[in-house]
Amino acid sequence: MNTNKKMSANQQTDEEIMAEVAGGNLDVLKILFDKHHVHIFNFLYKMCGDRMLSEDLTQDVFYKVIKYRTSYKHGSFVSWLFTIARNSMNTHFTRNKETHNDLEAVKYKLGEEDEHKEDYSHLHKALQQLEASDRELVVLNRFQGIRYEELAEIMNSTPGAVKTKMSRALKKLKTVYLQTI
Amino acid sequence: MEKRNMENKIAEYLDGTLSQSEMDAFQKRLTTDADFQKEVEAFKMLFKDIEQEEPVLPSKQLRSNFEKLLREEKEKQVKVVSITSNSGKGFSQLFKIAASIAILMGAFLVGRYSQQKELNATLASTQEEVLQYKEATLISLLGNESASKRIQGVQLIKEFDSPDTDIVAALGEKMLGDENTNVRLSAMEALSQFSYSEQVKTIFIQALETEENPSIQVALIEILGQLQEKKAIAPMKKLLEKDDTQPFIKREINNTLPKII
Repeated sequence: MNTNKKMSANQQTDEEIMAEVAGGNLDVLKILFDKHHVHIFNFLYKMCGDRMLSEDLTQDVFYKVIKYRTSYKHGSFVSWLFTIARNSMNTHFTRNKETHNDLEAVKYKLGEEDEHKEDYSHLHKALQQLEASDRELVVLNRFQGIRYEELAEIMNSTPGAVKTKMSRALKKLKTVYLQTI
Repeated sequence: MEKRNMENKIAEYLDGTLSQSEMDAFQKRLTTDADFQKEVEAFKMLFKDIEQEEPVLPSKQLRSNFEKLLREEKEKQVKVVSITSNSGKGFSQLFKIAASIAILMGAFLVGRYSQQKELNATLASTQEEVLQYKEATLISLLGNESASKRIQGVQLIKEFDSPDTDIVAALGEKMLGDENTNVRLSAMEALSQFSYSEQVKTIFIQALETEENPSIQVALIEILGQLQEKKAIAPMKKLLEKDDTQPFIKREINNTLPKII
């Protein structure tokens, strides 16, 4: 899966399409929805393990894209979109958790086995063993194809720092994954 | 590259993003270090499984909710009418605004013109009515038995910028035939304002022949002299020949006649 700079059928970049949306042409937003909503949904689903909640949050992300379209400043669209997704998720969990600690408040539903009947893969289960910040990095980079430069933008960090953190997170995942299979 | 550093490069090695020198060092390590080789193989399997992980698809409800959101926003957009657009659309918007203003101004001017025209017609009609009323008053006063009322009637001519022939004729009648000298004098003074009129000149010449009041005679001689009215020469000569003509009148005539060329 790779969301980076994919060109649509009419050869417009995501950034060009979003600029058009910001200019008032809302119809072309459907192109961006078609292209990215599954990625956003899967990112959220792998982060929280709750399908219904992930759908609600994905809808909230695109609602915010519509609402704040004029605040889009021609940067990487994918970075902007995943920043919105990340903020929506953090806002949801900080509102619904007593200990407000941003990403660490992200509650992974997998731990509450009695309350749900989601069908998770081995990888999915291995991911839930990671800390939320490590899980987020791995999901965004390895599953959603977000590059280090864009990750640095999303996380307000540098590509070098992101790369180092990613390397550690992958090593943890590898260890956990190999133990579960 | 030391071991830890090399381990950090495994993802880049598998992604094929290492530089040539890094790649050479990495492969050298792979051939010499069996544990490292196992480590790389484990990552390779992990990455392969990640790649093969099928994305979970959201329900169709998500799409229909999004489309509903978009529709609602578009409806709002129509109500708001955005003017922030690209230059072509901006020009078109500007043109539409200019056209709207032009239509508005046009409608306003047409309305105003039509209203003004109507107002002017009403005003003209009212002025006409007032003049007709004044004329009726003037004629009526001239026929009054009281001399002061007749003089009042004569004074009303000042209200007319260019009195019509009926009014001039009525005043002329008073000037020529009224029994009261003051009325005749007032009529003469009133008519002298319109001495350029041929009708008035004729009345003055006629009065010169009939008028017996010396004051009026002197005034008439003076006015006709100023007008250089040739038709007045004959009645003036007749006055000179008359025995009962006052000597100062004759003197006035003698002074005036040479001025009429």
